[in-house]
Amino acid sequence: MSAFAGAEPVASVVLVGLQVALLGGLAPLLSGTIRKTKARLQSRRGASVWQPYRDLRTCWAKSTVESSTASPVQRFAPPLVLGAVSAAVLLVPTVAMRAPLAGWGDLLALVGLLATARFILALAALDAGGAFGGMGSSRDVAIAALIEPGLVLALVGAAVAAGSTDLGAMASSGAARGVDLLTPAHLLAAAAFVLIAVAESGHLPVDNPDTHLELTMVHEGMILEASGRRLGLLLLAAHLRQVLLLALFVAAFAPWGMAADLSAAGLAIGAALLLVKLLLAAQGLAVLDAMVPKLRILRLPDYLGLASALAVAGLAARIWLPG
Amino acid sequence: MTAGGISDPGLGAALGPWLWTGALLVLAVAVVIGAVEGMSGRAPRASMRLSALGTLLIAAFGTLCLSGPGEVTASLGTALGFATIDVRYDALSGVFVLILGIVGLAASVAAIDGLSHEPSSALTGMAYPVFILSMVLVFGSASGFAFLLAWELMALSSAVLVIGARPSVEHLRSGYLYIAFTHLATAALVIAFAILWTQGAGDPRFSSWAAAAAALPPGARDLVFGLLVVGFGTKAGAMPFHVWLPRAHPVAPSHVSALMSGVMIKTGIYGLIRLGLEVMGPGPDWWGVLLIVIGSASAVMGILYALMEHDLKRLLAFSSIENIGIILLGLGAAVVLRAHGLASLAAVGLVAALFHSVNHALFKGLLFLGAGAVQHASGDRNLNRLGGLIRVMPRAALLFGVGAAAISGLPPLNGFASEWLTFESLIGLGGSTSIPPLVRSIGLLAVGALALTAALSLAAFVKATGMTFLALPRSARVAATAHDAARGELAGMGLLAVLCVGMGLAAGAASGGLTTLAGSLLGGVTEPPTAVTIGAATRPAGSVAPLLLAVALLGVAGAAGLASAAGGRRRIVRRVATWTCGILPDAVMEYTATSYAKPIRLFFRRVLLPERTVVTEYHPGSPVPHSMRYQGTVTHVFESHLFRPLHRVAIRGAQLVRRLQGGSLQLYLAYALGALVLLLVVAR
Repeated sequence: MSAFAGAEPVASVVLVGLQVALLGGLAPLLSGTIRKTKARLQSRRGASVWQPYRDLRTCWAKSTVESSTASPVQRFAPPLVLGAVSAAVLLVPTVAMRAPLAGWGDLLALVGLLATARFILALAALDAGGAFGGMGSSRDVAIAALIEPGLVLALVGAAVAAGSTDLGAMASSGAARGVDLLTPAHLLAAAAFVLIAVAESGHLPVDNPDTHLELTMVHEGMILEASGRRLGLLLLAAHLRQVLLLALFVAAFAPWGMAADLSAAGLAIGAALLLVKLLLAAQGLAVLDAMVPKLRILRLPDYLGLASALAVAGLAARIWLPG
Repeated sequence: MTAGGISDPGLGAALGPWLWTGALLVLAVAVVIGAVEGMSGRAPRASMRLSALGTLLIAAFGTLCLSGPGEVTASLGTALGFATIDVRYDALSGVFVLILGIVGLAASVAAIDGLSHEPSSALTGMAYPVFILSMVLVFGSASGFAFLLAWELMALSSAVLVIGARPSVEHLRSGYLYIAFTHLATAALVIAFAILWTQGAGDPRFSSWAAAAAALPPGARDLVFGLLVVGFGTKAGAMPFHVWLPRAHPVAPSHVSALMSGVMIKTGIYGLIRLGLEVMGPGPDWWGVLLIVIGSASAVMGILYALMEHDLKRLLAFSSIENIGIILLGLGAAVVLRAHGLASLAAVGLVAALFHSVNHALFKGLLFLGAGAVQHASGDRNLNRLGGLIRVMPRAALLFGVGAAAISGLPPLNGFASEWLTFESLIGLGGSTSIPPLVRSIGLLAVGALALTAALSLAAFVKATGMTFLALPRSARVAATAHDAARGELAGMGLLAVLCVGMGLAAGAASGGLTTLAGSLLGGVTEPPTAVTIGAATRPAGSVAPLLLAVALLGVAGAAGLASAAGGRRRIVRRVATWTCGILPDAVMEYTATSYAKPIRLFFRRVLLPERTVVTEYHPGSPVPHSMRYQGTVTHVFESHLFRPLHRVAIRGAQLVRRLQGGSLQLYLAYALGALVLLLVVAR
């Protein structure tokens, strides 16, 4: 962290700019590649990787249709959801070992901001009074209850090892240990996080981002009544949420190669490595999406319970195993 | 009465006794006026106005104690020859007196308009000011006798308010259960106090009990601590002693529920800190572990039961159990960390507990007042019949939403700040290598329990808010009769909502102020108070700046909102009916509170043990059912497997004892004779 100490405001501006450009700009592309890979694996040609951008443009160009039951919640929710997710994105160190908004919030704040987004979206989904909205909302908050303990426990292990819940400190402490980072405790926590991230970003076997089948949809059910620019904001928030989870995985579990200072070379290497890591992680999600069947919602406690159990095992390994 | 022994002269300190005496006098007048108003059957509005003034003075007094120009003490002399009635208000008292003042003010202001719906009698008219007054005394009692006196006054006056002026069977049963449990608490406390009292050579003052507690043998110390946990835990509503709480709080009028849930159960927390932490001093690890285990159980189970409720006030009552659990987690972490000499981390835990006590008082007061407004406006508080109230009471909906977001622990509001501190203290406990591995593991498991609690409380409060205010009303009566909230109710809620936001954004300053207090309570904290506030760098270094997070969130949201509102033709919003696959939308299609909680009911079926019965009725000779009724309940295990059997044993015991009291005079004379003979034999 000391490398940034002399240039805090400059570092913030540079890193916020990079983060917005890389994560904000490329989040839809990442979704596009995931869909493309999934389609190829299913022997389909699939839409272009740029399709998510076209979807956003279409949304932006359309006027809004609103339920006659809806209250102002419907109008204010989409920007607030995007705001909460964006603030969370800026708390993750990606290119450098310092979060763009270092000191504004740690990993608990990040989890909290995602919860804020969920709260607003789950409320907005109830606003129109349709059955789909209620269904999506009810399932989303229930699944979140299974996700959150595992998510926090998986990350807490890394925090305990780093002696800090600050994500920048966690990344630099992890990177400093090099290959030694790969202890049993670390691997268990990473495995737990993978299971969790799949669920949290709305992928199979928990949710299917491509379906509008009422029996299975969760996130799509919640945004069913949104349209026009409001839908655009919510779709962008969903893309961001997905890239955020992948970036969080990189920061907490594979932080090698992040820039330690503001030198152009360091930042360039950091950015390039980040893109490689994100693309790899995205392909992993795509393979999972293509190969794993959707779990019945009643079976989710088993799946997410496994994730929490792995996270707990990781913590136990950290406490009881020497070294 | 020798009022005002003041340790530090100055304008602020000189003001203290005046404020205190003034508040007590105003409340005493409110008692008299409340009795007169209640006797004539009118709503005690003048008494409520006086109570509002009294609580305002209390809030000012609390601020004064907290900012610490000195302690305010008074002595009422020896009341019964063996006990003095001393009061002494220090900074710890100040925290709790302040929340009493603020929540009391909001509740009293709301009640001026809201009370016309409640029946009143002389007794209930008197009980409300007495209730507030007794809590002022509980938080300031400096001796065991004074404390128990105020404690019982508080229990009785609140019991009168729970039972109400025209009690139904439900009110009477709830009141009975409440009185039974509150006496269980007092019994445990009396024994604990008696041990400390005798060890302290008969000095009833808390100040002399610390030395007495230190001199006790370990077994007796453990016993006293256990009794304190039972006594104060029962009052706080911690599991498994919570059974009375979800019954008593909902049947009381909403402004009373706000005070009971917001402040009264905090007397248990205050007692645990005052006696369990300050008087008892450092103890073995299991003291803290006990608090952490009780805290985790209360938090997780409390919020699970809250989710299963469809009565808005019962939901809020169960969520109070959850929040007490969160407070106990911070307290437990503080106890363990202090025993291992990690004073500054221990201070984080204690600050978390104190801060969450304050925050919970603010948002739970707000939510109960909101529930009262909903009940008055719609005549219902069953979430399965409510809905769409945002259209008739938009301001109340917004304020309730702020409370719901705050209690769900969402940044940048106040609930997040204190939960963040709780998380940090538990993670710090789990990361401290000087603590035994088993205790560390328990600390980290509690982190998971707290995360689960946070996620479940989000679900519970999305449900409470959404089902009450959004979509279409789920019953014709609510749709037809609902109206806006009264001015006083909105004012009371508004005050608390502003404080919820303010305490969130200014969390750094608030927790910094509490750190000085926590340091002095734990003893031996020499670090400057800024070292453990939000935004600091003690291990585990983590920092949060809620104000900046709010700036980031609202900045992006504002930009996105403006951008999507710009651009001519595309701003047009068409309003059409909700898409329901081609049929006209109807409230029957909406998710209800019960269906909303169904996934969680199924996910957690092994602890909730849900039962469902479906009754299908047929006309004779017809294969088509003409009606189907569905009923679902969850099993409250502590009630069905612990207290029901205990209650049965107690009743059976009482019936056995009753045979002694057969009603025959000869038998009683024989008892007297027997006792005399026995005495003569023994005292020979």
